[in-house]
Amino acid sequence: MQRWRGVVLMTVVVVATVWLALTNQLILYIHPRYVVFTVIMAAVGLVFVVASAFLREPHDHDEPPTRWQNTLSVTAAALSLAIAVGIIVVPPATLSSATLDQRAMNATGLSEGQGQTVGQAATTSDAAFARFTVLDWSSLLRQSSELSLYEGKPVDVVGFVSADPDDPQNMFYVSRFIITCCAVDAQPVGVPVYSPDWQQTLEIDDWVRVTGGFDANPSEQSTESIALLPDETTVVEQPGEPYLY
Amino acid sequence: MTSQLQDRRDPDTEAGHGHPERRSRTRQFAWLAVGLVGITALFVVRAITAEQSGLSLPGQAQDFLTLSISVIVESMPFVILGIVLSIAVQVWVPDTWIMRVLPKNPFLRRAAISFIGVFLPVCECGNVPLARGLMVKGFTVSESMTFLLAAPIINPITIITTHQAFGWDNGILVGRIVGGFVIANLIGWLFSRHPDQDSLLTDRFAAECRVPENHGHGDSRWQQSVALFRRESSVILPALFIGAVAAGAIQSLVPRQVLVSLGSNPLWSILAMMVLAFVISVCSNVDAFFILPFASTFMPGSIVTFLVFGPIIDIKMLALLRTTFTVRTLVQLTAVVALLAALVGLVVNYVA
Repeated sequence: MQRWRGVVLMTVVVVATVWLALTNQLILYIHPRYVVFTVIMAAVGLVFVVASAFLREPHDHDEPPTRWQNTLSVTAAALSLAIAVGIIVVPPATLSSATLDQRAMNATGLSEGQGQTVGQAATTSDAAFARFTVLDWSSLLRQSSELSLYEGKPVDVVGFVSADPDDPQNMFYVSRFIITCCAVDAQPVGVPVYSPDWQQTLEIDDWVRVTGGFDANPSEQSTESIALLPDETTVVEQPGEPYLY
Repeated sequence: MTSQLQDRRDPDTEAGHGHPERRSRTRQFAWLAVGLVGITALFVVRAITAEQSGLSLPGQAQDFLTLSISVIVESMPFVILGIVLSIAVQVWVPDTWIMRVLPKNPFLRRAAISFIGVFLPVCECGNVPLARGLMVKGFTVSESMTFLLAAPIINPITIITTHQAFGWDNGILVGRIVGGFVIANLIGWLFSRHPDQDSLLTDRFAAECRVPENHGHGDSRWQQSVALFRRESSVILPALFIGAVAAGAIQSLVPRQVLVSLGSNPLWSILAMMVLAFVISVCSNVDAFFILPFASTFMPGSIVTFLVFGPIIDIKMLALLRTTFTVRTLVQLTAVVALLAALVGLVVNYVA
């Protein structure tokens, strides 16, 4: 069995990859630009797996391992096997607010071409504002806290709920993760929403659609000076592409 | 002794040594069927369990799994590419060809080896099986180290993505390429001074390198290729899984803000960047995009340190390198590379 563990692990990953690609969920783990390359190499892997079942080598070149090596490799094998079972059995999922808590909201700058700039926003029409994502708004809010820039603009955003650590009673964020390569580098962005006692109707990690407009933040504890005052907050299904790029 | 007995009882061994061809054919197709059924079964299980929301894990555990899987899924295509290239080098390229085209002078030879990555644009996880293949083929340990360190940085994809991310600003791109080249060659030179090169390797891999060239016993090249695929994936995949688990666990436990808050101090920011590179374990082909958002808060030299240190040393890479090198070698390697990467960063901070 020892000699086949690599092939078994490879089969698990390759099958999972192909299945994720077929069901359009590979983007839960990697950036869309790598999907084609990943699927091609997975197909190559699959060919090798099948070939190694067909052309089993008649000789065994592996040296019998020492006892210490054996313990170590059994531990390693057990751990890898546990993850392999997880890959095949646990339903694929997007990152949640548990990871968000580890990574400060709106903490890092954005690269060029991501989000919006104040300069562009001056010439944007209301219809375009209504299509702004969480990423677009949060990038504007990072750059400017000039209330006049936001007043009267229609807001319509979708994201998952995470509590504002400074005022969890009255404030939550409509949050999304942005991804540059794979889920490992996900960074949270979010739009602050002022909604007293939101926890009575919403739960953390619920996906919501919030419409409304920005105004000065009534919350005294929160560090956000501007917040979204919702007209309507509805719980929605998780979108097919939960991450933003 | 036990293994000999097992070999005698293994029906495959008999088949290989000239039993009736028909029987071995049948057996081959039986195993092919087993393989195909296994693959289909995995697909079916995956499709069924995806609907069972009862199998979902609670928040943090689920995120840990998602992060680990993400590392595995992202690295796997490069690992497969690396194994395929390693097979090509070991089985399909004529023995003497690679050795003949390289210069004889050890310094020029290592310098030339640093540029192999230009033709084999594999990121660092794929380079491990390839470097193993090159060593089996006759590279010395120090030469393969030079390759291992230089190839992830001096390769077209990395250079293009780094240029896309940073352009020519602040000497980040130049610092990365030159820094990577210098460190790879210094490390190669340092380890070439070691009197007993084999002692740098794990016993098991050293033994593999000593196996005489004709160990295929007349197997066809296809059979050798498949055997190599099975052997390399048995070594590399468990290491990748463990590296991914470690990276995922640390990611879901340590707040990243701790690192970022160390920010803009010239020395601390370099150390913070090295820790970040070590923890994040992201591929050299894309790490420039990852670090770009930090460019405004960190000094350019610190970014260069991240870009030079990360491709060579991180959690995932150490797990992969452990398949080939002894712990002692890896500790020395990590220490020297860390010092050199910090030095490169300080120089860039000072100049830029």
